[in-house]
Amino acid sequence: MTDNSVIRLHEVKRSFGEKQVLKGVSFEVNKGEIFGLLGPSGAGKTTIINILTGQLSCGGCAEIFGVSCGKIGREVYRRTGAVLDNCGLYERLTCADNLKLHARIHRVDFSRIQEALTQVGLEGCEGKKVKALSKGMKQRLALARAILHSPELLFLDEPTSGLDPATAAEIHLLMNSLRGSGTTIFLTTHNMDEAYRMCDRIALLSEGNIAECGEPAELCRKYCSNSELSIVTNDEQKLSLENTPENAEAIAALIRDSKLKSIHSSEPDLGTVFLRLTGKELDK
Amino acid sequence: MKTIAALLIKQCKDSLHNLPSLMILIIYPAVAFIMSTAMQGEEKMGDIFIPMFAAMHCSFAPLVISSNILSEEKEKGTLRSLVMAGVSRIQYLVSLFIFVLIAVMLTGSAFLLMKPVTSFYAEAFAAAMLLGSAVSAVIGMCIGLYSKNVTAANGIAVPVGLVFALLPMLGQFNSSLSKAAEFTYSGQLRTVFEGGGFTTQTWLVSVAYLAALSFLLVILFRRKRLE
Repeated sequence: MTDNSVIRLHEVKRSFGEKQVLKGVSFEVNKGEIFGLLGPSGAGKTTIINILTGQLSCGGCAEIFGVSCGKIGREVYRRTGAVLDNCGLYERLTCADNLKLHARIHRVDFSRIQEALTQVGLEGCEGKKVKALSKGMKQRLALARAILHSPELLFLDEPTSGLDPATAAEIHLLMNSLRGSGTTIFLTTHNMDEAYRMCDRIALLSEGNIAECGEPAELCRKYCSNSELSIVTNDEQKLSLENTPENAEAIAALIRDSKLKSIHSSEPDLGTVFLRLTGKELDK
Repeated sequence: MKTIAALLIKQCKDSLHNLPSLMILIIYPAVAFIMSTAMQGEEKMGDIFIPMFAAMHCSFAPLVISSNILSEEKEKGTLRSLVMAGVSRIQYLVSLFIFVLIAVMLTGSAFLLMKPVTSFYAEAFAAAMLLGSAVSAVIGMCIGLYSKNVTAANGIAVPVGLVFALLPMLGQFNSSLSKAAEFTYSGQLRTVFEGGGFTTQTWLVSVAYLAALSFLLVILFRRKRLE
């Protein structure tokens, strides 16, 4: 485990009955980064979060802040926050009461409740009962609860799943602001656009293994088997040329004659990369 | 202790907004009050309702409420969020147990206000109510641990609670049921509520129930771990 890594998984295995969900997963998450774990539903993303948060046992080595995940105690939990697939909020209580409970557990001053609600855009909702909130507001309240004690590491399990684009964008803004303040974020998602835009590094999980791990743009370039260049000329003519030495002169001529309006290499998106690696679509 | 106190505060607030739980807590004292008031003029009738409903109260209410709260927390994912905030599973169960005892003792104390009692009777009554509530709460926690959701928990807790609550009363009308009721903690505690005081048999049966069910709770806890 490097000094900079917050999470380390090495050859992690986990089975449920006969079914082996994780077959030897290895990766590290560095301090201060947003790390995305991508995979289709049922790939084992939530299982990895459950292992990392000490909810499930596993084979291999899983560590968080250098502590084995099987031995996580209060000290580690105080340094982490989580927004899980199920918000886990008390529906009959108000927003403030939900946060007060966690403020008491984490020994955090109640003044932090107002700050956290403001951070997630829920100012003025203190007295509202959770059952009266929309799904997006509940998700934001769960996020407020997760950041209430200013954790160093935040687990976000599909935080924008089922939310409208505006609310999802607000959560992305908050994630960026948290990264700016040094919080490490472990994000699971099957939204490749979200992963591409938000994550510093991603791991693609398929059939219990990490198929690939790295920076999103780097992965897209790596799996760019298509060497086609898309060219648009000043007279709106669209050309597709193979990126070969033979076509270099033709492209150079377009530039020389000031006829070139735009030129793009056609790199695949993360979904296509995942499809090429695993033969499966990511959002299915 | 601070974590348990935080959980107790949360549970009190949550229960005050949970109408079914409130109903379960007040139904037997309320019915006992209505019945004893209505039958006050009738010879001996006014006195039989308070012990009868007190036995029902300490058998049924803690059992159903504890299983309901525990299974609901599991189903809604709130328990998971507590555990991930650093609350230990033991702390959670202890807070639930304390909350149920406090709630049942508070509402159960209403029985003592319905008729003039001696301090000796009041002490025996409180001890029996506490013991009965403790046994019932442990049964409810076992059911809550075992069940995956509230529906499944209620499907077990309500019939089990009714058996312990009604058997002592039904024993009045049938000798076989009366003998069976002698082997239940609720049947034994009813004799205390009737003013008979604690006998060796009362202690033996009640403590045996408590010990056996606590053992079962530990086994279930080790196997299920509140998952």
